Amino acid sequence: MNLNPMEQFAVKPLVAEPVLHIGAHPIYFTNQSLLMVIVAVASALFLTLAVKPNRLVPTRSQSMAEVSYEFVANMIHSATGEDGLKFFPFVFTLFMFVLCSNFFGMVPGSFTVTSQIAVTLALACLVILLVIVTGFIKHGIGFLKLFVPHAPWYLLILLIPIEVISFLTRPISLSVRLFANMLAGHTMLAVFGGFVVALGSAGGALKILSVAPMLLIVAIMLLELLVAFLQAYVFAILTCIYLNEALHLHDHH
Amino acid sequence: MAAPDPDRLTELGRKLDAIQTRQAAGARRAPPSQSNIAFRFATELFAGVVGGGGIGWGLDWLCGRFGFHTRPVLMLVFFVLGMAAGIRNVMRAAKEINAEIANGRSDKETGS
Repeated sequence: MNLNPMEQFAVKPLVAEPVLHIGAHPIYFTNQSLLMVIVAVASALFLTLAVKPNRLVPTRSQSMAEVSYEFVANMIHSATGEDGLKFFPFVFTLFMFVLCSNFFGMVPGSFTVTSQIAVTLALACLVILLVIVTGFIKHGIGFLKLFVPHAPWYLLILLIPIEVISFLTRPISLSVRLFANMLAGHTMLAVFGGFVVALGSAGGALKILSVAPMLLIVAIMLLELLVAFLQAYVFAILTCIYLNEALHLHDHH
Repeated sequence: MAAPDPDRLTELGRKLDAIQTRQAAGARRAPPSQSNIAFRFATELFAGVVGGGGIGWGLDWLCGRFGFHTRPVLMLVFFVLGMAAGIRNVMRAAKEINAEIANGRSDKETGS
């Protein structure tokens, strides 16, 4: 049995042949792509089917869909105000995708899409591109005022590059936070799982001790469920905060 | 079916509004946990340093392509700027969290 805790994060092609080529790079259909497709299809199907009967008194699945809708709508409203609601489809899709990937990753034997920096960085870059495009559409060239703090001119020479870098590093902090949380949690689960196997195969009195890490895994699993939700929430709320800055320049000063 | 009483309808609307504002205040209340705050600061700082260094490295590479041998000057400069940006981000995050906590506290004090 393989006890390497990092083995669960290995990206393996499921089909030996590359699906397509971009330039000279072969693109494979991997276990990660499969999970992403499953997550996207499952969340879209669930949300559409749950509200299909559209009862006045919601069923359990319908109220789940309604609660998630209202949760995101309230979050956008409180973080960006009325005009931020235009971005509801984007933020809702992002939130549901991250949330479902985190939850699907909790299923033993599956694969956690959000534990790959490539995925989270791509999502974060999407967010920051949207922020930049929104800012320029809304304010034109005046969007660049975001990078000019209130300070005397001789400090601005230093402060403007710092502000620009701090803006450009946002996708990094956004993606690293999600990626590191998922990676750490799943590694911890695998390490404690390894303890169970090691103690169980040790024989004698140690066999009984293997119950202890098993119980700990249950506790960590619960904690991970919380983290899975919390990280999806943090990702979405930070998206809202960044959008808010693009919509209302310098309101936070 | 009897015609709805307009007074009762406005009363109902007022009650619904009150519930909605109360919920909106409650949604914002929960302050982030300690480990979350620590993790947020750590990633902000890390992102600043890595991002700054990365941008400098990229600019060096770009300058190299145009025949200016700036390596590794720009990387060093941007590395330091990145650190400053990271600290700027941490300060900003701290301000946000402070505001959040203050929000929650004032809500509790007024007992809403």
